[in-house]
Amino acid sequence: MSLEFSDKTKKTIYKIIARYPQKEAALLPVLHVIQKEFGQISAEEEILAASLLGISQVKVREVVSFYTMFNRKAVGKYHIQVCSNLTCTLMGADNVLNFIEEKLGIKPGETTPDKKFTLSTVECLGACEKAPSMMINFDYYGYLDKEKINKILDNLE
Amino acid sequence: MMKIYIDGREMQVEKGMTVFKAAENAGIEIPHLCYHPAFPPEGTCRMCLVEIEGLPKLELACSTQVKEGMKVHTKSEKVVEARKGVLEFLLAEHPLDCPICDQAGDCKLQDYYEEYGLFDDNFSESKDRREKKIKLGKHLIHDNERCVLCRRCVRFLREIIGTGEMGVFERGANTEVNILEGMPVDNNYSGNLAQLCPVGAITDMDFRFQTRTWFLEKGEAICPLCSRGCNIFIEHHRGFSRFDLPKRVYRISARENAEINSYWICDIGRYGYHSLDENRAEKIVANNNKSIKNYKAALTFFTEKIKRLLYKKKTSRITLLLNTFLTNEELFLLKKIFQDDLGVKNIFFIDPPAGEADDILLTSDRTPNKKGAEELGFEITPFELGDLEDETEVLIIFGDYIGEIFSPSDIQAYFDRIKDTFLFAPHKSEIDSIAGIMFPTVMTPEKGGSLTNVDGKVQKFSPVLEAPEDGKAEWKILAELGTKLDVNFKYYKKFLSPEEIFRQMQKEIPFFEK
Repeated sequence: MSLEFSDKTKKTIYKIIARYPQKEAALLPVLHVIQKEFGQISAEEEILAASLLGISQVKVREVVSFYTMFNRKAVGKYHIQVCSNLTCTLMGADNVLNFIEEKLGIKPGETTPDKKFTLSTVECLGACEKAPSMMINFDYYGYLDKEKINKILDNLE
Repeated sequence: MMKIYIDGREMQVEKGMTVFKAAENAGIEIPHLCYHPAFPPEGTCRMCLVEIEGLPKLELACSTQVKEGMKVHTKSEKVVEARKGVLEFLLAEHPLDCPICDQAGDCKLQDYYEEYGLFDDNFSESKDRREKKIKLGKHLIHDNERCVLCRRCVRFLREIIGTGEMGVFERGANTEVNILEGMPVDNNYSGNLAQLCPVGAITDMDFRFQTRTWFLEKGEAICPLCSRGCNIFIEHHRGFSRFDLPKRVYRISARENAEINSYWICDIGRYGYHSLDENRAEKIVANNNKSIKNYKAALTFFTEKIKRLLYKKKTSRITLLLNTFLTNEELFLLKKIFQDDLGVKNIFFIDPPAGEADDILLTSDRTPNKKGAEELGFEITPFELGDLEDETEVLIIFGDYIGEIFSPSDIQAYFDRIKDTFLFAPHKSEIDSIAGIMFPTVMTPEKGGSLTNVDGKVQKFSPVLEAPEDGKAEWKILAELGTKLDVNFKYYKKFLSPEEIFRQMQKEIPFFEK
């Protein structure tokens, strides 16, 4: 089975590639598009990106494995990233993580069986002023405590 | 040109040169792991830090260019402290398993550890365990614990070979050099990775756990397996006084030659050395004359046979089968004796069939001296069994490749009617029984001489290994034959070394004059 983009995505990708003097330079934005379309960047998506940009799969893997924002395994509908860096830890990130683990019954790096939540830890979200903080998909949540987490998670469909 | 000072020494260097190169030219060694002259500076290992007066921090010697009046210190206290620090981090995850590491004795990291190591390091945490036996390809094993991430392997595959099978994956403390699953390093130059690796991370399966590097002697030689004439080291072991080793040669490595092979050799040359120790012919075999027991008697018998045909003016009954593994000197003597003195016309060549050439080093000729033979005036006519003339009485075969092209039964069928067959070969084979007398000869690293590579470059070499028991270099046999034949006694008598034959060649053949 080979991967196919939707026509709309194809257009987006050609536009992105056209922005750069060298095709290879479009790797990061193209990978974001691929991740958005397929939900993950596994070996198959790497091969797709490589053939689009005329580079080797090894080079794509180097980039994908370097950046934490690329998911090499599919994530659930909501990707919860709990900050585990210094400020958040001082403000109780451990408790936040433990509570979410208990509530969802999964460990960091795992996805709930209904594919709704994926939990992971992340280094500094750059939101120390709201520590302890987390990110769900692209939304930030700060000043977390049990009550607040319950409210946030229960409100997600 | 500009003036700089390294460790207080004034020197003139070219504009644009790096501090590292300037120091190297002046004989000042700067520790380094990732820097390799074949590639642009990478600056990942940080071992080459030097102090430059007027600059606030230490700089990388490998990537800093010289400037007029620059004052560099490579051994100052600050530099040594920094090296210790860099090394401490390089070794933070390194297992220091030198006692079981093939690279030990040949390892830069080990050398630097001796010099700059903190023998009680500051890390109290245990080291990470990583994969120690990743099969990178047919010849290579990768140990992720030992790797210092210099990326020489990655750069070699991308920049020199262009196959790019390896990459640097993950990041931070988890960074590793690896291949993609199911896509091994699969090219004819993979063996270079083991030689290029400055530590024991990539090791050669052919050499793995065979011996320790400090027992090996490196002999300078020329690779005889294609017409490129790559410069190599034959790394051999002289053995111990109490017991013999199963073999002499343990590995072949590339020897730098900017004009021919740069720093590399192909896998055919690197792993094709086993024939030096396997199945070697050591004693004269005389099948039809049991009284011949030594080389001297065999050579006399051989000479008499040729002399007889010479006196009867029937030298057209001699057929000569040569090959282009023979050196320039040997081919020259063969030409002088058989073509010029005896007037033999039936001269053919038996060489391995042409292979595929690549654009890197490997050529299609799988012998080292085809060009040399051509320059000496030989017409390289490949031999077919049907070429053998009915009247042939004396058949002289050089090399044992004939047994690989033709089946022994076919050879037997054609050669049966020939009275005297003389075989000069370095290996035992089924053809030995067909030949009347088999003279054991030596292989290229066991003799001296010269070879002419595909581009017409003549390279001289000296013997690296000892000849097997009765084994004689072909040039020696031929010089003795020439003397004994008595056609031109004085001419051949002076050929006591390949050097003298070469000098004669220079006088007679303009190509070899330069």
